[in-house]
Amino acid sequence: MTTETDKPVVVTDKSGAVLVIGGGVAGMQTSLDLAEMGYYVYLVEKGPAIGGRMSQLDKVFPTNDCAMCIISPKLNDVGGHINIELLTLTDVLAIDGEEGNFNVTVRKNPRYIDMSKCIACGECAKKCPRKVDNEYNESLDKRKAIYVQYVQAVPLKFGIDPKECMYITKGKCGNCKKVCPADAVNYDDKPEEVTLNVGAVVVASGFDLFDPTSQETYRYSQWPNVVTSMEFERILSASGPFQGHMVRPSDHKEPEKIAWLQCVGSRDINRCDKRYCSAVCCMYAIKESLIAMEHAGGKLDTAVFYMDIRTYGKDFEKYYNRAKDAGVRFVRSRVHTLTPQINGDVALEFIDEKGQRRSEVFDMVVLSVGLTPSTGIEGLAEVLGIELNEEGFVKTHPLAPISSSRPGIYACGVINEPKDIPITVMEASAAAGAAGKEIVDARFTQTKSRSYPDERDIKGEVPRVGVFICHCGINIASVINVTEVVEYAKNLPFVELCENHLFACSSDTQTKIKDAIIANNLNRVVVASCSPRTHEGMFRETLAAAGLNKYLFEMANIRDQDSWVHQKEPVKATQKAKDLVRGAVAKAALLEPMYQTRMGLVREALVVGGGAAGLNAALSIADLGFPVHLVEQKDILGGNAHKVYSREKDVRGYVKDLIEQVESNKLITVYKKTVPKYSSGFMGNFETVFQGPSGEFTLKHGVTVLAAGGNAHKPNSYLYGQNGRVMLSLDMDELLASNSPTITKPKQTFAFIQCVESREDARPYCSKICCTHSIESALTILDRNPGAVIYVLYRDIRTYGFREKLYQEARSRGVRFIRYDTDSYPEVTETPEGGLRVTVLDHVLKRPLAIDVDYLTLASGIDPTPMKEEIVEVFKGQLTAEGFLLEAHMKLMPVDLATHGQYLCGLAHYPKPLEETIVQAKAAAARAAGILAKPYMVVGGVVAVVEPEKCAVCCTCVRACPIQVPKIVRNEEDAALRGHAFMEPAICQGCGVCVSECPGKAIKLQFFTDEQLMAKVAAMVEDPQAAEA
Amino acid sequence: MIIAERKPIDEIKGFIEGKKKVLLVGCRGCVTVCNAGGTKEVGILASLLRLDAQKDGRELTVDEFTLERQCDPEYIEELLEHVEKKYEAILSMACSVGPQFISRRYPREKVYPSLNTCFIGGALAHGIWAEHCQACGNCVIHNFGGMCPISRCSKSLLNGPCGGSAGGVCEISKEVECIWHLIASKVMEEKRLDDFTPVQPIKDWTSSRDGGPRKIVREELVKEEMVK
Repeated sequence: MTTETDKPVVVTDKSGAVLVIGGGVAGMQTSLDLAEMGYYVYLVEKGPAIGGRMSQLDKVFPTNDCAMCIISPKLNDVGGHINIELLTLTDVLAIDGEEGNFNVTVRKNPRYIDMSKCIACGECAKKCPRKVDNEYNESLDKRKAIYVQYVQAVPLKFGIDPKECMYITKGKCGNCKKVCPADAVNYDDKPEEVTLNVGAVVVASGFDLFDPTSQETYRYSQWPNVVTSMEFERILSASGPFQGHMVRPSDHKEPEKIAWLQCVGSRDINRCDKRYCSAVCCMYAIKESLIAMEHAGGKLDTAVFYMDIRTYGKDFEKYYNRAKDAGVRFVRSRVHTLTPQINGDVALEFIDEKGQRRSEVFDMVVLSVGLTPSTGIEGLAEVLGIELNEEGFVKTHPLAPISSSRPGIYACGVINEPKDIPITVMEASAAAGAAGKEIVDARFTQTKSRSYPDERDIKGEVPRVGVFICHCGINIASVINVTEVVEYAKNLPFVELCENHLFACSSDTQTKIKDAIIANNLNRVVVASCSPRTHEGMFRETLAAAGLNKYLFEMANIRDQDSWVHQKEPVKATQKAKDLVRGAVAKAALLEPMYQTRMGLVREALVVGGGAAGLNAALSIADLGFPVHLVEQKDILGGNAHKVYSREKDVRGYVKDLIEQVESNKLITVYKKTVPKYSSGFMGNFETVFQGPSGEFTLKHGVTVLAAGGNAHKPNSYLYGQNGRVMLSLDMDELLASNSPTITKPKQTFAFIQCVESREDARPYCSKICCTHSIESALTILDRNPGAVIYVLYRDIRTYGFREKLYQEARSRGVRFIRYDTDSYPEVTETPEGGLRVTVLDHVLKRPLAIDVDYLTLASGIDPTPMKEEIVEVFKGQLTAEGFLLEAHMKLMPVDLATHGQYLCGLAHYPKPLEETIVQAKAAAARAAGILAKPYMVVGGVVAVVEPEKCAVCCTCVRACPIQVPKIVRNEEDAALRGHAFMEPAICQGCGVCVSECPGKAIKLQFFTDEQLMAKVAAMVEDPQAAEA
Repeated sequence: MIIAERKPIDEIKGFIEGKKKVLLVGCRGCVTVCNAGGTKEVGILASLLRLDAQKDGRELTVDEFTLERQCDPEYIEELLEHVEKKYEAILSMACSVGPQFISRRYPREKVYPSLNTCFIGGALAHGIWAEHCQACGNCVIHNFGGMCPISRCSKSLLNGPCGGSAGGVCEISKEVECIWHLIASKVMEEKRLDDFTPVQPIKDWTSSRDGGPRKIVREELVKEEMVK
């Protein structure tokens, strides 16, 4: 195997590398997207492993996925990517130069462990005498001074904590060096300064959690049963301090009653200087309460004490409703006193909604702590020369939400504003696109690729199997008698060679395996060691380097599935190792070479929808160097953005400018009054037929971005459409934009009703933007007409993130907020004098309040595009129950559709403010560019293959496939013959569902055929050598 | 297609009680498509029977073979080499045409049906099939908005709906949609309700089962010697 640098595509003096700071989910996503687009990435992480805050979470909302299960593949993708260089324990010291050519000095702090030698066996930690607080488990338990953060960590290498190690601090001990079987410990490790030349920088260094110690009310530092939400995540987690057994810290009692206190360190300028909403705490508190109930088997009383419930995201409101149905109590109150009890319980005192003073005792209390800027952010900002905002986060602009104040430096994730994981992931992809834009000519100048010798043809050869058995230091060898297994394996059918190695994964063993393959003319290889999940890829590379097809390889996991779980029964474990090796050899003998082929692709994009989302997506893809076809149903571009007025930003000017840029861009072709009719093909090679003003036409494209938009909901209530002074938010925007004198007339009264026909059974979702929109409108009216009287009738005010500051300003400037609930909707009537009257039950006085208003604005929210069914029909997507497009994964793939090569953005995905639409569009563009940048697509390998003569064309596979790969195709030789099912290898993921469902047994999954698996199972259950004996 | 489902396992076990060598015969026709009697289902039933025998310590050989179709004699002929191996029972996994054809061709063999033949229908989704035709021999669906009241109305009414229709559901079960509700809704949508005012005449059922077992003879297809 050789590693070489690809030749530059275009001569440029810019650097084709990008520095990403922070290895959390944001930094990982940015790195992966950049590397896919053709840039070399330095991923700098100050800690010993990547994964960030998300790796600490137990579950994620609203899908209740296990956080570790969904982030772990991403960890491995980053760790194994040839064009991502991981620099852990590394600090950024200085930067000079400018966009396109920065020189960044970083310091790699010593790990005291040679990463190339460490095999993560854990012997060192077992013998380390020094126990310290385990920060990964929020200090609820202890770790050793030599440690890995968590078992799935990437890189999975131990490290020494120099502040705690007794050898490094006092020169005593040295145990770890003595016991390390790989000689990886190096106490003399020194910091190293390196200068990296990069074209752009993405800052994704995350956040800290608010420390409630300073807030005496909560008694956090005094009472163990008052925990933070992150501590509670660790308590729930199976890898946490109590192995997932939900107990309270003081006495390990299973709690029967838990309270969550919201807005601790958020929306509070009284006791701490946190004027913003942390955007995620309502949802994580709901999640934690639901998961806690699951842990307790339903016997748990949970209560969430809140000010406003902010479940504004996709499927969040339904999640909230689900929690209410499950019995989670939601109490609208700020708890003013916590009194710990002698038995460990905590009494809460609060004023309930009726104004009554109440007290309730809980077994434990969870503080829903907010997100704050990370401690190192000020220093980092100074080093990088970027500005912070008044809250201490990286300063960005609403219309350029990922650009820092310094050109060429971008910020994504919570570093610039508190936000949830999906928006973080969107920002990360968007930042990758933005960072790549200026150095697009330098693409592929610094990336590496692998090359291999020609493959040996093994056709007609009798299987010659080489078996390599690993000691894994003492991990395997201390339990299993490896020599005995080696002697045994030598006598198995077709085995030519059997060797044992101390570490099968070490690079020198790789060379030995490669040499053995060549010297012995082996044509199948079995390695008995650890898990294929972590090591199969590496061993396959070794086969390829030896000129053998990489699929002629099989693994037997004699560590995780044997020595680790049968430590106390070495004899039986050795027998099991023989069984596992025998099974692997039996399967290996039946392996056949498989070939992945290269397939060309159309390096052009289709963008459907010419609103703010589509325009941004088109422009960003073109900026990354690819032609774009932009299709719009109407005869003008710009969509809803033409109708929006904002106090904070010039939306109309922005969209006009955007249209000009799109229309003057040579790479973008705009098709107005055009709709897609039919689309076929797959990632890299789509073909779509359109109906345009002058007839039908066809376009070929490699990727598709669906930005079909949404519309303001037209309600049937509150006299809308009957009285001219009842209007929608966008109508109010028009009055404000046109400087209408009605706004500035003295003594005018305005009212806004929020959640109109929203968050109800028929439309059970929150439209996310309406609270902020109405408050911005109210403030604009007040700016122009300080004497105006303004009422906002609301259910929960959902000004998440920094939008909370608008809410505070509105309150302080006298806008009157009156809460209603679904038991008592406001009523709107016309008075006999021709006036307009709003009657609402005042939530404090509990009496109806009649307000005569001059103008009433209805915040009716956003409906999905009426074109949704057609779009889904043409592009074979899926819709949510509410009619929005369904993404591939709500958490980690927020801009991908289930069909590979299709992306979504904007209101078609879910209601969202313009800044998030911009981010999502840029993210979709970056993801799309990652495909378009590929020199070719690699197709085939472990995929499903149909034997046409056995196919009954029953459509079972078509219906069973989770990603709609199988199609029934015509017989190519003779159209009169019956067709058969066909799985396009370019898109098949090899999951095997169709194989197991096929009633005619006409489908096989390559590398996992029935014959191979049956041979393996048969060999494992029956031992011919034992039978002889 | 013909929709079938496998008989309960105890009934099938009863067929082969005391027998040591049996043959399962699948069909690649309708019953493969409706996931009842294709190669996979044959394999599953064979495994079940073998496991059951092993559990009881009985000796049992179960062989598997799947024919292209069991409703054509030419394919039944392919069974000959298997039949010569002397099975104590042949279990057909086709619709009931299959075991009858096998039994007629190999009169000395003990042939059992392993499926229950249920109805003529189609797949609504993977794993869900519904009856759509009763083979009345005189199709009239064009008169009813493209829907068949003979097979899909519990009473086969031609002048529906009856008083048992409520909320689109038939009175016999909440799981059964009222086809007349669907017919009427469609007709009203098309503003053709007037077309439905005249009473539908009584249907001639002689083409259905009322005329006794049915047979079709297409003279132009029949060869002279075959008739003899």
